[in-house]
Amino acid sequence: MAAVSPSLPRPTTLQRGVWLGLIGLGLLTAAVLWPAEARAFPASWNLGLRAPIDAAQDWIIVNRAQDHPLFFYFFEPLSAALDTGLRLVEGALLTTPWPVLVAAAAALGVRAGGWRLGGVAALGLLGIGALGVWEPALQTLALMLVAAALSITLGLPLGILAALSDRVDRALRPVLDAMQTLPTFVYLVPVLLLFGVARVPAVVATLIYALPPMVRLTSLGLRTVSPAAVEAGRAFGATRGQVLWKIQLPLALPTLMTGVNQTIMMAMGMVVIAALVGAGGLGREVLLALQRLRVGQAFEAGLAIVILAVVLDRLSDAFSRQSPGAATTLAPALCRDGRLQFAAVVLGLAALWAGAGAAGIGGIPTTWRLPVREVVDPAVRWLRDNVFAFEVAGLTLGTGPFSDFSTIWLLNPVRDFLSIWLPWPVLITAVAVFGYALDGWRLAAASAVSLLLVGLLGMWAPAMDTLGQVLATLVLTTGFAIPLGVLASQFDRFRDALRPLLDFLQTVPSFVLLVPVIMLFNVGRIPGIIAAVLYAMPPGIRLTDLGIRAVAPEATEAARAFGATRVQSLAKVQLPMALPAILAGINQMVMMVLAMVIIAGLVGGAGLGLEVVTGVSRTQAGRAVEAGLAIVLLAMTLDRVTQRLAKGEDRGPKSAG
Amino acid sequence: MADRQTANPSGPDTKPAILCRHLWKIFGPHPTQILQAITAGDDLPSAHAGHVVAVRDVSFEVTRGETFVVMGLSGSGKSTLIRCLLRLAEPTSGELFVAGRDLLALSETELRDVRRRKISMVFQSFGLLPHRRVLENVAFGLEVRGEPLREREARARAMIELVGLGGWERHYPRQLSGGMQQRVGLARALAGDPEIMLYDEPFSALDPLIRREMQDELLRLQATLHKTSVFITHDFAEALRLGDRIAIMRDGRVVQTGSPEDLTLAPADDYVAAFVRDAPRAKVLSVRRIMRPLPADAHLAEGPRLRARDRVETALPIVAATDGLIGVCDEDGALCGCLDRGDVMRTLAGA
Repeated sequence: MAAVSPSLPRPTTLQRGVWLGLIGLGLLTAAVLWPAEARAFPASWNLGLRAPIDAAQDWIIVNRAQDHPLFFYFFEPLSAALDTGLRLVEGALLTTPWPVLVAAAAALGVRAGGWRLGGVAALGLLGIGALGVWEPALQTLALMLVAAALSITLGLPLGILAALSDRVDRALRPVLDAMQTLPTFVYLVPVLLLFGVARVPAVVATLIYALPPMVRLTSLGLRTVSPAAVEAGRAFGATRGQVLWKIQLPLALPTLMTGVNQTIMMAMGMVVIAALVGAGGLGREVLLALQRLRVGQAFEAGLAIVILAVVLDRLSDAFSRQSPGAATTLAPALCRDGRLQFAAVVLGLAALWAGAGAAGIGGIPTTWRLPVREVVDPAVRWLRDNVFAFEVAGLTLGTGPFSDFSTIWLLNPVRDFLSIWLPWPVLITAVAVFGYALDGWRLAAASAVSLLLVGLLGMWAPAMDTLGQVLATLVLTTGFAIPLGVLASQFDRFRDALRPLLDFLQTVPSFVLLVPVIMLFNVGRIPGIIAAVLYAMPPGIRLTDLGIRAVAPEATEAARAFGATRVQSLAKVQLPMALPAILAGINQMVMMVLAMVIIAGLVGGAGLGLEVVTGVSRTQAGRAVEAGLAIVLLAMTLDRVTQRLAKGEDRGPKSAG
Repeated sequence: MADRQTANPSGPDTKPAILCRHLWKIFGPHPTQILQAITAGDDLPSAHAGHVVAVRDVSFEVTRGETFVVMGLSGSGKSTLIRCLLRLAEPTSGELFVAGRDLLALSETELRDVRRRKISMVFQSFGLLPHRRVLENVAFGLEVRGEPLREREARARAMIELVGLGGWERHYPRQLSGGMQQRVGLARALAGDPEIMLYDEPFSALDPLIRREMQDELLRLQATLHKTSVFITHDFAEALRLGDRIAIMRDGRVVQTGSPEDLTLAPADDYVAAFVRDAPRAKVLSVRRIMRPLPADAHLAEGPRLRARDRVETALPIVAATDGLIGVCDEDGALCGCLDRGDVMRTLAGA
């Protein structure tokens, strides 16, 4: 639109391509000719963070024990308060007779989404009981409820502030970005140190993890309330508070409830991971069983986690879907019918409690156990003999050899290429050039500095291992997700068939995905990668499908009118127009893949995740923090580059028009 | 009304309901600097990059009970202008007296009070609150000014009756058609019994038939309530139907202000003329405006007489049936002019 001065012609795509090719060739030559002894990142350049951090850790441990004021007046009381709250909730859940809990879940389900949901909720709880993990499940639930309640009570006012004030919004945004980009592992270490080992650090870590969606969706919900409604309020002389309470909050309620749903689901996922830092519950059951290779037991606890997650998801999702007209759903006492029903349900539950209490009923009887592990363990044994490794005509085949084969022939070469063969300056230059081509000097400098810092932290080799796994996984994930997304966009039936599977994969806490994968592929890096593919695929599929479906029907119709075949219109119209959405999907997938590859450090994956795990388990805070910082730097670089990719494509057609 | 003096009113009774002088509204990061630059004569578009001059030195006044229409195409600044009248958009400079108050000098609290009691607005997109029923929507203005539940609901019910929506109190806005939703908007604005009603293209989102029905509804209400009204539209026919006087806006400026007859007979420039070209002249023009003076030697003793204040449309049957000059009488029945069939046909042809 604006006149471009003719003296500065924009480089054509061809020119850019030639330049990039020449630079690539130069880098390749440099890589080949580089002296072998200078390829690894020089160890002497280490920033030496480890010693002071270890010292700080020792200081914290000593002073916490000796009641230093910082701990005596701040962290200890905070910790004690959280612990008391947790104990109260947990105690309340554990002393409630099981029929009351099941009936309460059913009542909530009926209120939120009708009889079917009520049935699902009740059956879910009964199922958890029948898996023999009633108590750990209630512990997990208590932990999740406290963390989610804290996230919501903190997130709601913060979100309101961010919606009302652009300044608060600008200040909060980078903090929330960081909280969401950080793999959960990273802040476990400082939280552990400050709050001690037990359930309190789990609550704090979960709070950090689950707070951002609540803040973001509150702010988003309030900001996207129709400006016409807000203006009408102002025009009739409503004060700012009246506009907030009478117009914005009620209209934003569905989005707020989506925030509650996401917060609950993220809290659920994190509470499971928090088992690593000494929180009990189902996560601990899974972890212990996995470490002892008792797959059946791990499967039971994992299944219970899935059931709990699905029930919580369906319940909170149903609340968020209620129509904006019926804004009274959250406060049933507001309308007369609701008040009566509510009173009846409460009375019924109280009566049930009294009756069950008198009869001495507590947790679900252990004799009602379903024989799950009795089925799973032989199945796993059979799998091991017949799928994991079996002999055909003298050749050993199966998932085990597959796992070994891909580790030896795919992952190790990629890792060795990145961390040993490729000279580190060449890699940094290549990333900088890529960043420059995408978005100019700032991205180039940011990426190069981030990578350099990874090296200075002494984490070059494990970071390259992680990077290699991420790239390999990303290729696999994209290779599955985009074709599946395209198919889903073309065939409604395929999409409908895919939907429950995607819902399921998105509901299952990431850690639990590892269980069945390990059953088939044993521990190592391959199960981490497969779990990451499963974990990261859904958003890629969904965004590809959505992007293609969102292409204006006129464009497709025009292509058809000119006689394009279905494949032609897909390739020439729909896919190019859906590219921004697909690239946004790739951005999400990269971040999820990274998170999962790190978590897989727990089950024999290698790289930065393993460094953190080792650091945490041996109380070597220095090592864990160094690895954690490297994870952050890697995550930021990957996020920036892929986000830029998506935005750049978004901008392209506009600047041309 | 058309030839009313624009000099300052002397007594409180003749004070205009709205007095707007040299109003400017500039959007952008540095509106006052841009305004200074423009008033200093530097009005090149390149000088105010990043700014939009939405309202440019607009002056007008609206008398009590009058319906003042602001007509303009999209982007002409008319919506911003009406928002300035309620300070939903903060004017950059100028004077604004509304309902007897210096609007721009009001504190936040005083302004809120004016919005609650003196001025109400009807919105193009209706601006209804989807989470409230019709009754609660209509009672909204009364609710925010703190009236007790029972009274505001009684008042709201009366307003719902008034706009012909009795029986729909318990419905949600989305269950209503567009025309019915705007009736709710109308009832909500009337509920506070304001002195001044602002209409921001209230019927633009409606189908032509419904729009016509709503215009009739508005004329019916206005005939009994006599609210001072400012009405924004992009539809010239609508402006002609509803407006006592019309201001035509273009690029933030008022190009011409006048009665429908003034505009039709003497468009100030080609822009106004382009709208006027398709005006239904028979409906707009009065006999008085097209008659000529009585010739000194004329003898009009016989034949039918026309009334000067009638529209040409109502005079047509007589004109069609009568050859030669026809006499025109004023309010008192005295002859004040004459016309013949040729005069009428030339007028209707737009000559």
